[in-house]
Amino acid sequence: MNPKEIAQYALDALKKSGADKSSCIAKKSRRDEFNIEANDFTLMRTTFDNSLILTAIVGGRRGVSVINKHDKASIDEAAAACIESAKSSEPDDAFDIAELVENKNFIKPEITNDRAGLFSRSREYIEQIRDEFPKIIIEGFSSTLTAATETYANSNGVIFGTEYDAYNFHSMFVAKDGEKGTSFNYDGASFEKPTTPFIDAGMHRTLLEEAVKSLDTRSVEEKFVGTVIVTPACTDMLWGTIHDNFLGDRAIIEGTSRWKDALGSQVADTKLTFRAAPLNEPHIITGPRYTNDGYITRDLDFIKDGVLKNFSLGLYGSKKTGKPRADTSLYNYEVLPGDVALAEMIKSTSRGILLNRFSGGSPGASGDVSGVAKNSFLIENGAITDAIQETMISFNIFDALKNISAISKERVANGTTYLPWVCLDGITVS
Amino acid sequence: MLNDYLTAQKKLFTEHTELRAQVNTNKRVVMLAGNMVGNAQSEKSGVCARVERGGLYGFASGAEYSPESVLSVLETAAENARFMDENIKKGEPPLPKTENAPGKVGLKQPIFSDIPQSVLIDYARSLDEFIAKKYKNLSSRTVVADALYIEKLLAVSDGADSHSFQPRAMVYAWFAAETSDGVPVELFKGFSHVGRFDEFFKEPAALEAQLDELYKNLMDKREGVYASAGVKKCVLHPDLAGMLSHEAVGHTVEADLVLGGSVAAHNLGKQVASEKISMTDFAHTAFGETCPLPVYVDDEGVPAEDAILIENGVLRGFMHSRETARRFGVKPQGNARAFEFSDEPLIRMRNTVIHPGTDKFDDLIASVDDGYFLLKTGNGQADSTGEFMFSVDLGYEIKNGKLGRAIRETTISGVAFEMLKTVDMVSDDLAWEISGFCGKKQSMTTSMGGPALRCDMTIGGR
Repeated sequence: MNPKEIAQYALDALKKSGADKSSCIAKKSRRDEFNIEANDFTLMRTTFDNSLILTAIVGGRRGVSVINKHDKASIDEAAAACIESAKSSEPDDAFDIAELVENKNFIKPEITNDRAGLFSRSREYIEQIRDEFPKIIIEGFSSTLTAATETYANSNGVIFGTEYDAYNFHSMFVAKDGEKGTSFNYDGASFEKPTTPFIDAGMHRTLLEEAVKSLDTRSVEEKFVGTVIVTPACTDMLWGTIHDNFLGDRAIIEGTSRWKDALGSQVADTKLTFRAAPLNEPHIITGPRYTNDGYITRDLDFIKDGVLKNFSLGLYGSKKTGKPRADTSLYNYEVLPGDVALAEMIKSTSRGILLNRFSGGSPGASGDVSGVAKNSFLIENGAITDAIQETMISFNIFDALKNISAISKERVANGTTYLPWVCLDGITVS
Repeated sequence: MLNDYLTAQKKLFTEHTELRAQVNTNKRVVMLAGNMVGNAQSEKSGVCARVERGGLYGFASGAEYSPESVLSVLETAAENARFMDENIKKGEPPLPKTENAPGKVGLKQPIFSDIPQSVLIDYARSLDEFIAKKYKNLSSRTVVADALYIEKLLAVSDGADSHSFQPRAMVYAWFAAETSDGVPVELFKGFSHVGRFDEFFKEPAALEAQLDELYKNLMDKREGVYASAGVKKCVLHPDLAGMLSHEAVGHTVEADLVLGGSVAAHNLGKQVASEKISMTDFAHTAFGETCPLPVYVDDEGVPAEDAILIENGVLRGFMHSRETARRFGVKPQGNARAFEFSDEPLIRMRNTVIHPGTDKFDDLIASVDDGYFLLKTGNGQADSTGEFMFSVDLGYEIKNGKLGRAIRETTISGVAFEMLKTVDMVSDDLAWEISGFCGKKQSMTTSMGGPALRCDMTIGGR
């Protein structure tokens, strides 16, 4: 059976077992992967997998079963288990499935399945590292080609299909010179086809160059309050955190988000527009075309000109809180560019840090954050000077968003996000 | 229980080969603010093969498990190994043979029948009700009940075949409250056991003492103050010391990361910690008792032995796979493990602990004039340089040898081998922590532990 037939069979099985409403996602995939450790190839990996996610609602109660088998006996068994667990669960009016609006297939126009191209790019990458960056050690590298066919279907008649292949690399690296070594850094990107050298993707070459420069570091000798320029490589400190901790289902349902009642309020400097952008091709190419709830995805402003416009609620979170659904991707986001050139931003910083990676705790609901600035550089009197070591930065994320003093004109895309450099004032550095 | 379709195919092995069939079963129920928002069960199973040729591996996996699918993954893995060997031409000799390997290591933990999802549902619901009824000043609460079973069947061309079963039962509780000025604060506690979920988690009241403590800690944290940033004298709770042993030292002495540039490469045989510090990655038995997550044979078929990492402050060794052991000229000790059937074995920690010392815990606290007692960490990360960072979700001031006010969330950081040299007191107790997962390309169940430590630590704050 193909995924569409499997999905249909699964919905029938759930209905026969007693589901009032149901949905399922059936997927077949093949993944090829090349691994490099310590600058040498180590492994070629090929995985064939199936997945089937069944969701049933019975009497307002919900159950979910996940298996990686597509034969009828396994589906029947999983459907029965799904119904059984739903019946034991708690009823909740917020459990629901997507209504039928428009069925659609999303087929990638050109599926190349170019394994040879993936290998060539991987080999080219490690050769370029050896030639151009002899002090760089690739701690771990993987390049992948994923080819998949998937169907979402539900008992309201919604059916979405997708077929695609996707290319990706991820590299973790350090610079080493004798006994001197740097912090690790990591980077990666996704591609439609393996036509671009990996080393030229996004900020990758810059990060490798900066790793080498970080072999000699300097300590920040005294605590100061200054400026931090957050680079596009440092995605999690602000954007991932904001999303996960203050906009998502859990934070809004629980009420632990400080923004729970702030829709329409100014929560950041007016220069900031932070939005989900799964459809923003070619900068973002990994965005899904429909959500796991069964809605077609869209681009959506979370914060526009500093004003909180939307949460990122799924169907359940929306029904539970009475606030609108996001119908977007949680992982594909962008920050709109500002009007200051990066060079100008650095030039106007008297004392601060260029932050490439932040190793810190999750801020928690209070928004207080502290952690170590990694792979980062000191900015003094308008110029980037030395790489820094063992430097902590502390701030409150809500305050920091209101203290954005500049956003760069330039942005960097890696296939998943599209981000500028963002300048935050009033950050404690120690 | 998995049928053995693997052993019969050993006659086809012409190069170093591993065949593994595996099933991971997971059940999970999530109660969020009284709502059952998660109620899911999953089963992922299949078979994989890994073949080594000329120092390079080919790996393949498939979701079906049958005599035919075993042959298929074996063939694809061999093709991948051939492709890599022909294109990369490393030309390494065959891997060294395992000495004195037992033929097959059978089940140490009997496989039990699965439990219905309703067991977790009923438990999570009753625990949530218990919390809602007893702890009145919470603004929100989350309860998670989770059961994970991993069964593996392994057939190898060299070493030990094995059949293993690793069950883990976990309950997590998050409490949230608000400070007087409306700022949300949270705390979390995990409870974990090896075995069937319903063997350990029967009545919510059995967790009452620990939940009372969690609630008290949260109420203290509600009134918490900002820590003063800088280098401070700190006492680390055993839970935090366990995280330290795993993140700050353990990862830096994994041989693949040593080859990747870890600072540990230059420190073998050197004093990297106070003489009071010894640290071991135990295979299956520690201090005369079975470890929380015992490993008898790893997923490369290597019989598991303890890996001594630090002895009286001196760095003694690394953790290895067969491949890195060959490169370092040492014997592998069974650290190569894979999480799912579609994962290749990686060097992973098993039961990693700093050994208990001789000091009494109360004396550690009493000895600090002005510092912090740090208890809970939210997450942590280690670096190739030995630098580490933990978020600290719960801590108290220590003033004149006595515990003072709670502190707000902060972060501690340092360089492992420098910080460990400042350890001057080690408590005589040991606490294991097994509720978390380690992330390194794949997830992995690990256990970690340690005593309380007194040391100098860089603490964040305002």
